[in-house]
Amino acid sequence: MGFQGILTAAGRRRGLVLAVAAAPSIDAPIVERLTEEAAVVPLPGATPRVEILAAEGEVVAAGAPVARLRHDPGIRFVAPMAARVARVRLLPGHRLGEIVLFRERGGDAVSLPVPKDAEAEAETLSTLLHSAGFWPRIRRRPFGAMPLGSERPTAIVVMACDSRPLAPDPVRGLAGREEALARGLGALKALTAGPVFLCQAAGAPVLTARDAGPQVLVVTVGPRHPQGLAGIRVHDLCPAEIDRPVWDVDAEDVADLGDLLATGTLPQTRIVSVAGDAMTEPRLLRCQIGANTRGLCYGGTRPGSHLVLAGSPLDGWPSHWLGPRDRQVSVMVDRPPPADRHWFLSALMRTSRPRPLIPSAALVQATGGAFPAMAMLRALAAGDDETAIRLGALSLIEEDLALVDYVIGGAPRVTDRLRALLDRAEAEAAP
Amino acid sequence: MTRGLWDRETVALFLIAALMPLALAWLWAGGAEAAARLAAALVISGGWNLVFMLARAQPPSLGGAITALAVAMLAPEEIGLARLALGISFGTVFGELVFGGWGRNVVNPATVTLAFLGFGFPAAPWPDFVPPVAWAAIPAALIGIGAGVMPFGVIAGSALAGAVALAAGLPVAPVVPVGGLVLVLLVADPVSSPTTPLGRWLGGAVYGALAALFAAGWGGAAPVQICVAAALLASLAAPLLDEIAIGLWVMRRRRRHGQG
Repeated sequence: MGFQGILTAAGRRRGLVLAVAAAPSIDAPIVERLTEEAAVVPLPGATPRVEILAAEGEVVAAGAPVARLRHDPGIRFVAPMAARVARVRLLPGHRLGEIVLFRERGGDAVSLPVPKDAEAEAETLSTLLHSAGFWPRIRRRPFGAMPLGSERPTAIVVMACDSRPLAPDPVRGLAGREEALARGLGALKALTAGPVFLCQAAGAPVLTARDAGPQVLVVTVGPRHPQGLAGIRVHDLCPAEIDRPVWDVDAEDVADLGDLLATGTLPQTRIVSVAGDAMTEPRLLRCQIGANTRGLCYGGTRPGSHLVLAGSPLDGWPSHWLGPRDRQVSVMVDRPPPADRHWFLSALMRTSRPRPLIPSAALVQATGGAFPAMAMLRALAAGDDETAIRLGALSLIEEDLALVDYVIGGAPRVTDRLRALLDRAEAEAAP
Repeated sequence: MTRGLWDRETVALFLIAALMPLALAWLWAGGAEAAARLAAALVISGGWNLVFMLARAQPPSLGGAITALAVAMLAPEEIGLARLALGISFGTVFGELVFGGWGRNVVNPATVTLAFLGFGFPAAPWPDFVPPVAWAAIPAALIGIGAGVMPFGVIAGSALAGAVALAAGLPVAPVVPVGGLVLVLLVADPVSSPTTPLGRWLGGAVYGALAALFAAGWGGAAPVQICVAAALLASLAAPLLDEIAIGLWVMRRRRRHGQG
């Protein structure tokens, strides 16, 4: 631990093991299952203004653009499969709600011309990534949204590990694709002046430092949650700030990027785990991006009502569709909310908000020892944005503190307070 | 979506479980008189929690029971029920409840109570403890650290300071048993002790050093009086120590990450 350990309680082994439900076993077979319906949706919480490129009823090829950003028309949202556009739902102000697609069998896949200098020239590469529909797979910090088309980050963190409960092991999706991953990493290097970090779990290295290339820093990450979360790693490796954005990308997507550079076609499928206490047995599937979550768990649920969440049991939210970055579906038993207490008791108990926090070892473990946990939580609870930002809140988004909420069961939720802080900071930083 | 259980009352329950060896040893040694004192402290502390629930909608907490136990064990003897009630009322209300209840307090309410009684009624004799009670502080600390509700750094830091004082030949030996009890009951309280790892080591060391200093230089003071005074000052220093630890952490990070 050393001196740093005394300061922060840091350590690779900090974290918690959650026994939520059975996860897919480490060598479970990967079943190919493309759902009949899929949708193009933005990142959760984001509602970009778009221009629709494919009308309802039109047939599109896999990888063909269906929408593009209004303020930056180069950035496209693409169909994850050959499909017929079933329904376009826009929110007020031409904001993207969802574009529902019905699968068409035997359709084509779009192949883009790959310019020769794409792997070395930032401008060419980002144009290719915009038009191939890769951009929504990137998340920037601070604030956790899709980056602007012209943005160049100070660092890129590539996650080849995922410690969330029930998450699929990213190594499975990367088996046999080491070359594509290395090519993708090399290309990402062109997009940033800073370092590219490859985070991988101890004991299951995807790439050795030599294979990853000279300019990629390989980081070994502890096994427990939340060590394998992008936010905790960004906080540790290269803290994000308003004028120093950091991107994080999943390693499987980087391997897809490598394939795009080699063949001109961006793969549109990924490994997804479907698990939870309402599943008879967990599944490991290969399905398209934006797949219908009901279609993925169909036929495998226990009787009774259940909640289908896109994301992990900790930070997932009820959704019909997998988001552009989701790699797991959690199917949880829908427990009825606890019966209401007598109004008099509620009136006596409910006003004490935010609920007091008591420091305990569980709380420190829930933050992975990445930052002074109580100081951060107190700053968030009190709305002391300055202190929270000093402690690195801009590197985090909701999913990074979801475990804290799970552990302390506080009210209001810490994740909501963090989002409120990020929104305030974003409004303040806006030109 | 799912919720865990490490909320305030769970921590309070684990703290009570940790203090059980101590409480049982003390009750066994003290007999009916000790039990009556504990019952009185529980009733008064619980009563004020009830008043604040009805008047201010602050949920009562099991943390009040920990305060009651600490006060019953450490309060001066032969002061009578009325003075005890006055002291507990002052400590509970002004040390804890006016800040919003257990978890929002700045100092430990039991420490405030004991300091109040000590200053208010200096003639009352402070209690002595038989060796089994003092030894019971060790299992209490072990359970508390094991369950993660007592800060390890505080206990280790003060043990270190005590060991240094003993090795330096200061006359601290008579204070050590009581020092351990006060450490477990008052100083290792997760709420009012520092929250950062470095702050906790420093906080424990400050408590140990102050206790050693008072033992060496405060003629005629009882061991409990010495330790309570040290605990009060150490808990007042806690925010400063946290601030120092966080400042060091931020500075180190800034050096590592440039602007960071």
